[in-house]
Amino acid sequence: MRRAPLVLAGTVAGLFGILSFRSSPQKITLSTLPTTSTPAAASTTASGGSGSGTVGPAAPAAPATTAASGGVLSATGPQVNYFYGVLSVRVTAASGHITKIAIASLSDGAYAYSHYVDSVSLPMLIKQAMAAQSAKIQGVSGASYTSAGFAQSLQGALSSLKLS
Amino acid sequence: MSGAWHRRVEAMGTIVTLDLFGEGLDVVVDDLATRAAATLRQIDRVFSTYRDQSPLSRLRRGEATLAEMPPEVPRVLDACREAHRLSGGWFDPWHLPGGVDPTGYVKGWAAGQALEDLRHPQVAGALVNAAGDLASFGDLGGQPFRIGIAAPGDPGALTGVVRLTGALATSGTAQQAGHLIDPFAGAAAARAASASVAGPDPGLCDALATALAVGGDVVLARLEALAHYEGLVVDADGHWRATRGFPWAEAPPASLSR
Repeated sequence: MRRAPLVLAGTVAGLFGILSFRSSPQKITLSTLPTTSTPAAASTTASGGSGSGTVGPAAPAAPATTAASGGVLSATGPQVNYFYGVLSVRVTAASGHITKIAIASLSDGAYAYSHYVDSVSLPMLIKQAMAAQSAKIQGVSGASYTSAGFAQSLQGALSSLKLS
Repeated sequence: MSGAWHRRVEAMGTIVTLDLFGEGLDVVVDDLATRAAATLRQIDRVFSTYRDQSPLSRLRRGEATLAEMPPEVPRVLDACREAHRLSGGWFDPWHLPGGVDPTGYVKGWAAGQALEDLRHPQVAGALVNAAGDLASFGDLGGQPFRIGIAAPGDPGALTGVVRLTGALATSGTAQQAGHLIDPFAGAAAARAASASVAGPDPGLCDALATALAVGGDVVLARLEALAHYEGLVVDADGHWRATRGFPWAEAPPASLSR
């Protein structure tokens, strides 16, 4: 078992793989975000999906960006409807390198499945996004996982960091 | 200027990512991505088993005949027949609950169809990732694409990293326990926590990965004898077996193989 990279599914890893290729193989440079943060193609091509987990922007609170000392920046992505509730993702970066990803808000209603999402899925997605910047990979192959809401809010947070 | 472009498409109940590498793709990337998205959307309309009125759903309920299907349906079922033969019967869309269900082939095939839409003189390499089923052509500035294989049962790890040429699919019980059906027993079963197949055809990789997850070592032995396709089986405890030609970029420790 290779311990260092922490990854599960492909969605977010794909995003980060590109970021790391564009800049350097080792880390994400936030200045590379313009090529990845244009949601145009993605949003115009939403099919609605055939199963669960499709998302749409909900309560589009504008991403909030905070500058702290020493070049540390953080941003919270928009609140996004995912199949089991509403979530938003907060990203912290220092020197153009992501240092922390966290769930900023989560409201998961009363779905029986939501416990699984909270306790298993979201930690996986966070680890995956963190790992993708060090694993030098362009994607991950694994049993499928719908992480649309997470990816969408994460992307919002990253875009807003780039603007700051 | 050379670089990488990334687009996401919501389709088939998941997110499909499109990665393009090449020179000055700014002017073409959105057209290519829009085309690929339309292809995925069309496949979803035809093959979704979640949409009551999709042609496939109507075929499954016996409300329509194969002759009334869009031409891609019989083509896909023909390919499934070939996958069934190559897998020794372990991939069997005709022995699933609710009628014929080629879903185990379609997601990989869809990734391959979307990939064709990304071909362009300026695109040196492209990667379509349909939630873990990947199709690719070209490379990344002379370097092969590197794809991690998710470690089953351990969200904190990769089993290893693969040099991707062509397609790669992974199937397993890590995300959806019980969705794999043993066609011989007629019940949910899996002999591997995770199974991956690499090879030239994305749909066939997907189907063979499904067969490998269900059948385990029996199917791995078939893959060893099959040209151009390589397989990997990973148990829940991390032990793994792979065909001799499996395209590792970074293999797991040998101590975990057996």
